[in-house]
Amino acid sequence: MKKSFLITGAAVVATGISSAFAADIKVGSAGGITGPIPDLVAPMMAARDLAAKHINEQGGLLDGDNYMLVKGDSKCDAKGAVDTGQKLVNVEQVVAIIGPNCSGATIGMAESVTIPAGVVILSESATAPSITDLEDKGLVFRNAPSDAYQGAALADMVMESGYNKVAVTYANDDYNKGIAEVFEAAFKSGGGMITASAEHEPEKASYTSEISTLSRSGAEALMVFAYYGSSGTTIIRNSLENGLFDMFFGADGMRNEEIITDIGADNLRGKIMVSAPSSDTESSSYKMFAEEFSAAGEDPSAVYTPGSYDAAFLMALAIEKAGGTDRGAIAEALMEVANAPGEAIMPGQWEKAKAAIAAGRDINYQGASGSIEFDANGDVAGTYSLSVIDNNGKWVEK
Amino acid sequence: MNELIGFVNFHLIPGIVLGSIYALGAIGLTLTFGILRFANFAHGETMTLGAFVALVVIDLTNWHVLATLPFAMLLTVLTVLVMDRLFFRPLRTGPTVILLIASFGLMLMMRSAIQIIWGVDLETLSKGLAIPWVLFESLRIFPKHLLIVGAALLLMLGVHGLLRHTPIGKAMRAMSDSPELARMTGIDTERVVMATWITGAVLAAAAGVLLAYDTHLDSRMGFRVLLPIFAAALLGGLGRPYGAMAGGLVIGVAEELSTYSWIGDGPLVSPGYKSGVAFAIMIALLIWRPSGLFRGRVF
Repeated sequence: MKKSFLITGAAVVATGISSAFAADIKVGSAGGITGPIPDLVAPMMAARDLAAKHINEQGGLLDGDNYMLVKGDSKCDAKGAVDTGQKLVNVEQVVAIIGPNCSGATIGMAESVTIPAGVVILSESATAPSITDLEDKGLVFRNAPSDAYQGAALADMVMESGYNKVAVTYANDDYNKGIAEVFEAAFKSGGGMITASAEHEPEKASYTSEISTLSRSGAEALMVFAYYGSSGTTIIRNSLENGLFDMFFGADGMRNEEIITDIGADNLRGKIMVSAPSSDTESSSYKMFAEEFSAAGEDPSAVYTPGSYDAAFLMALAIEKAGGTDRGAIAEALMEVANAPGEAIMPGQWEKAKAAIAAGRDINYQGASGSIEFDANGDVAGTYSLSVIDNNGKWVEK
Repeated sequence: MNELIGFVNFHLIPGIVLGSIYALGAIGLTLTFGILRFANFAHGETMTLGAFVALVVIDLTNWHVLATLPFAMLLTVLTVLVMDRLFFRPLRTGPTVILLIASFGLMLMMRSAIQIIWGVDLETLSKGLAIPWVLFESLRIFPKHLLIVGAALLLMLGVHGLLRHTPIGKAMRAMSDSPELARMTGIDTERVVMATWITGAVLAAAAGVLLAYDTHLDSRMGFRVLLPIFAAALLGGLGRPYGAMAGGLVIGVAEELSTYSWIGDGPLVSPGYKSGVAFAIMIALLIWRPSGLFRGRVF
């Protein structure tokens, strides 16, 4: 015990010496490390770290400064996000924040901490439509498309799969409620019928009573808008065990392997389809990211990970473009480095980007998750696909 | 007929199962309160610990969930005794509010420790689906539900035997009624305190394992049920183990029944507000009968 202590101590001293001439530039990396979606968040945090590693290997920020991501656990809820946001902004004195992951957490952190403090945040996975309309003074960005798009795309995909009468259940939080509302409106206007719709409180032991009420409405399938870890898995388990529903649709908050290992691939195959933003896996930006991320022992098809890499990379570009650590200048630079026109920069091309910025040329980051063009609300557009469970018990795009 | 079956299948049975689990948790909480005079916030985390020990045993041996109970209980008891020795005993002479705050800190420490050891992911004790027995073509009985309720009942009988028929149980009751008087009659208070922790930890571990068996386990599961368990302990009257049993059942059943379509087609209370039912009962009780159903302690 004592020995390992000494070694750690020595390592700390060594790092201190090696970076004695270069300062650390701290950027917060907030995410729902604990909470209802830990398995979704872990690879996202790894993808952000990979971007930071690439940047530091290729010369670092500004005058060779170290791009340092300071992790914070936003717990996927507003309260946790406010706590960790305050710590990042006031104690760690970060110049910007990447994340948090969940919509409720993002809204909470933005409204109570980062907007008043003038700190820009960029989330790769907060998708609630309500984030678009935040009074954010140009400080809240996301490179995940709003669920105003996903909800509508899912409505089309459900009808294309041959289901016209569905019941809806959604967890009582910003993300799930938001996407459920968009879905219902789009499904009805497309000629479908919502036989029943009910909110549920996450984190309960059983949802049998809720689902039995919904099943009596005569629906052909159940729409489950929930995080898999706080209610989604339980709802599907309860439905199947009690024979209440045998077809389910969900959104990206459900796309996790954990749900398959819990309930069993054979019990679920052909009974569940979930939508998620799809990256163009043929683009050279995505391939570049996928190769590096796989080499690091991670799965590049894990939902939102290309966006996580992009978010961390974009924030570094914005700092470089701003030419310093002024929080306001970084927020302004973020839109310039992401949007056209400019010299195309792809994942991993930090040296090229640094040279272009030093020469005063405009750049346009072409991310692993897509081309990333922010609109005036700090949103991007997106494409979606449905995923099903394959013969190996993994999610695959249909 | 269908209505009735639906009511039993989807409201009454889940309510009783949840209620038995709440009851087990509430007995431990109420005993700690009666004898040590503080509300133990770390009780929920004690449940979580029991569930994770069961997970380890199942991973190693592939035994039935109920067979892991002794191991879960043993390890949980040891942990709780160590915690008492390290944290609660040095503080026991001070005001009880310090113990309360200490238990809150301990709750956070235990949860973090569990997250460090077992991670933050969702786990299950029994993978796959449980297929119910279907009686009379529509009544669905899950074997696991019978086992959960049966195990809970046995444990409650055990507590009854302990409190009524053993010297240490009588000493526990005496100390709960009046600590000064108990000391004067020569009761070894440290032994009683130890017995209280052991009983509470055994029941908490069981409640955690049974809850994980019924649903799933993750590092926050104990904290999630802590508030309904507090409500159950209050409902029964603080310091009253029999009250806690009744309180647990009432809270569990009330939560599930409130969402039945008593009037019209829709649920009476939107399931989103199910947890609120437990608290509505609790607040009404605190206003009109603050000692709880079984005349417990009032502050």
